[in-house]
Amino acid sequence: MRPMKSMFHQSRKSVPSLNVASMPDLIFTVLFFFMIVTHMRSDEVKVRLQVPQGVEVQKLANKQAVVNIYIGREGGKESRSEAGRWAVQLNGDIVNPKDIPALIEQIRGGLSAENQSRLTVSLRVDRKAPMGLVSEVKRNLQQAYALKINYSATEIKK
Amino acid sequence: MFRKRYRQQIPELNTTSTADISFMLLIFFLVTSSMDTEKGLLRQMAPPPLEQEQPKDINRDNVMQVKLDANNQLTCDGKTVTYQQLTAEVHSLAFVNRTGHVISIQADPATTYEAYFQMQDAIVSAYQELREEYAKKHYGHSYAACTNDEKTALNEYYPQRISESPIKEGGAQ
Repeated sequence: MRPMKSMFHQSRKSVPSLNVASMPDLIFTVLFFFMIVTHMRSDEVKVRLQVPQGVEVQKLANKQAVVNIYIGREGGKESRSEAGRWAVQLNGDIVNPKDIPALIEQIRGGLSAENQSRLTVSLRVDRKAPMGLVSEVKRNLQQAYALKINYSATEIKK
Repeated sequence: MFRKRYRQQIPELNTTSTADISFMLLIFFLVTSSMDTEKGLLRQMAPPPLEQEQPKDINRDNVMQVKLDANNQLTCDGKTVTYQQLTAEVHSLAFVNRTGHVISIQADPATTYEAYFQMQDAIVSAYQELREEYAKKHYGHSYAACTNDEKTALNEYYPQRISESPIKEGGAQ
C-alpha cells in the first residue's frame, strides 16, 4: 500500500508540543519588573481636591526627592458639599502650616546628600483653594529653604 | 508484563493555564498601579528675605504689574486683561527687554488657586513661545527637539523674571 513508508519513518511520531513550562516564569519576571518600577503612592490623600489644568506643564523627575503637599477640603469622598474646612496634608498626615518647616527639615535629614539639594515640593492644591492659605504654605516652605516647588496640574493639549 | 504497563509515562501536569493566570496578575498590576507621571509647573522660589535687605530699584518701564483681585479679576498694569492677552503682553515685554524686565505678581488672599495657576501658566507659555521662536531661528528645530545643552542655553537666553510679592494678611491693602 505505502512503499515509501520506510523513508518517512520519522513521520510516525506526532509533532512534539511546544514546552510552555517556562512561559509563566517569563511573565512573572515581567510582573516583578512592573511591580518594582511602578511608583506606588504610599500616602493616602485625606483631603478632597481637584488640581487645575495647564498647558505648560512638565514632568516631574526624581521621585525620591519629592515631598507631597495636598491642600483641599477636609472630609471623605461621600461629602460632596462645599462645606468642610480647608486642610493641609504633608505626605501622609494633615498638618498645621506652621509645622511645615520642622517636618521638611526632618524629611531632609532622611535623604541622601544628593537628593537633599534636589528636594522638590509638589503642591497639589484644589482649584477653589484660597491663595491666602497657599501662600502661607509657600512662606513656610521658604523658611525651610525648600525652594523648588511644583504646582501640580493635569495637562491639556493646545 | 509489568514493564509493558508502565511504558507510557505518567502524564505531565498541564501547566498551559499558568501563563494565563500570571498574565491576569500582570494586567491587574498594570491597571491598579498608579502609572501617572506627576506633572506640573516647576518654580523656583526666592530664599527668605534677610533682615537688612534693601529692595532694589528697578526702572518702572521694565516692570509689569500683574494682579489678581478677590473676584479672580486679572489686571496687568491697571488694565483688565484675559489670560491670552496677558501672554501677549508678557511676550512683547520679554521680547523687547530680555534680561532686564520684571514681572511682579500679586494675588489677593481670596483669589482662588485656579486663577493663580492659570496666570502662572499664561506667563510661562509666553516665555515658552519666545524660546520656541528662538530655537526655530537658531537651531532649526523646535524647543522639544533641543538637546539639554540647547535647552539650558535657551532658558538662559530668555530667563523667567518673575517676582512674587507676599500676600498681605487680612488683605486690607
